[in-house]
Amino acid sequence: VVGIVLGLALGWSGLAKLRRPDGESALVELLPDARRVRVVLRGLGAVEVLVGLAAAAGVGAPAAALGVGFLGYLGWAQRKAPDRSCGCTATTSAPVTWRSYGRAGLVVAGGLAAGAGPAPAAVGLVVLALVDERWVLPARRLALRLGGHPHALPPQDVPVAATVELLETSLAWHQAAGIVRSGLLESWDADGWRFLRYAGDRVTVVFALDATATTDTTASPVVRLAVVPETAMV
Amino acid sequence: MDRRRFLTGAALGGMTIVGASALGALDADAAFASTRATLDAGVVESVFAEGRIGAIKGSTLHVAGSWGETHVVQLTTATSVWKLRETSAAAIEVGDGMYGRGVRMPDGTIAADAVWVNIVNLECTLRGVGADRLELTHDRHRVVGRLVPGTTVATYNGGALTADLSRLTPGQAVRVLGAWRPADDTVDVARLTVAA
Repeated sequence: VVGIVLGLALGWSGLAKLRRPDGESALVELLPDARRVRVVLRGLGAVEVLVGLAAAAGVGAPAAALGVGFLGYLGWAQRKAPDRSCGCTATTSAPVTWRSYGRAGLVVAGGLAAGAGPAPAAVGLVVLALVDERWVLPARRLALRLGGHPHALPPQDVPVAATVELLETSLAWHQAAGIVRSGLLESWDADGWRFLRYAGDRVTVVFALDATATTDTTASPVVRLAVVPETAMV
Repeated sequence: MDRRRFLTGAALGGMTIVGASALGALDADAAFASTRATLDAGVVESVFAEGRIGAIKGSTLHVAGSWGETHVVQLTTATSVWKLRETSAAAIEVGDGMYGRGVRMPDGTIAADAVWVNIVNLECTLRGVGADRLELTHDRHRVVGRLVPGTTVATYNGGALTADLSRLTPGQAVRVLGAWRPADDTVDVARLTVAA
C-alpha cells in the first residue's frame, strides 16, 4: 500500500514538472539558461512518473534512490541559491525549507517500505500533511476552529485609533486641517468624551468626540474643538 | 494633569461642531495673529526627512538619510512622536529609523511637526495566530508580528478599527502597520488591515 501511495505522489509531482517546469528554479545556477532548466525538469518529471509506477508495483528501490538524490540536490540548492525555489513540485515558487527535506525524506522512507501495509501508509500521509506547505494553512484554520481562537473574547472598548479615524473622516477635521500641524500628541477620556490633542503653529488644538463612536456607528460625528494659544496654557 | 483639565474645559465649554456645520465660524484670528498669512502655505512648505538616527543630542536628532544625505531634526514640545503609539521624544533611541515632517529653518535644520519612529507598512500573508504574536510572510520572508494589548487594532472589510482580533484567520492577506524592533527584528503591530 505504501508503494501505491508513493507512486501516486511521485506521479503527481512528476506530471506537475512535465506540465509546468519552473525555469527560475535553483537549477539555473548549474545550467546556462531557463530553457534548458525546463528541459531537465521535464526529463526528471518523466523519470519520477516511471519510478512512481515501479513503486506502485512494489519495487521501491528506485524511489529510495531518487529520494536520496533529491536530498543531495536540496542541500546543494540551498547552499548555492538560497532564494530560488527547488522546482520540486512546480506549484510553489518558495525557496528550499525544512519542508522540502521532509518531502524528500518521505520519498526515501516510502521507497524502503514500498511493500508495507495500510498502517505505515496512513502514518506517511499524516506526516506528509504536516510537512507539505499546502496543508499548513488549512490545518491551522481547522485547529483554530476546533481548539478555540486565542482572541475569542475581544475587549469592548473603542480604541483611540478608531476615534482618530472617525475624527479624520469628519468635516471638522478637514476644515481644521490647515491649523493642525502635528500628529496625535495625546489622548484622554473624561465625562464620556474622548479628547485628542494636536499642535498647530503656537497653538494647541483639542478635539472632543463621543468616546464610544466609530465610523461603524455614525457618519457625522459630533466634534467639539478648542484652539488654545500656547501663551494661554497652564 | 492640570493641562488636561484645562483643555477638557476649553473643548467642552467652547464651540461645538455638529457634523457638517460651521467650523467656518471658528474665530482663529487670535490664534494665528502672529503666524503666516495663509494657512495653505503652511502645508506647502512642509519638508520630509527619513533615515537612521545616528545620534541624539538634547532635542536634536542627527539622521543619516537613505540616499547618503544627512538631516538635523529639531524636536519641540509641539512635535508629535509616534513609536507604535503616540509617545514622547524620550522613547527615541539611537539606531532607530525615522520618518519626519516639518519646516526647514534658515540654518538648514528641520523643525519637526511630526516624527514616526521605526514605522513599517507591509503587505503580508497571515500564517499563524498566537496569543501574543502573529506569524506572517512578506515577500517570502518570515515576519513575526507582536500583538500589543491596548494598542494593536484591526479593521475588517473597511469597517471601523477595533481591538477585536477574533476574525484573524491563517491564509488572510493583511496589511501590517507597525513599529519595527531593531533589537530582535520583529514588528510590534499597531494596525492590521484585513480584506476578508
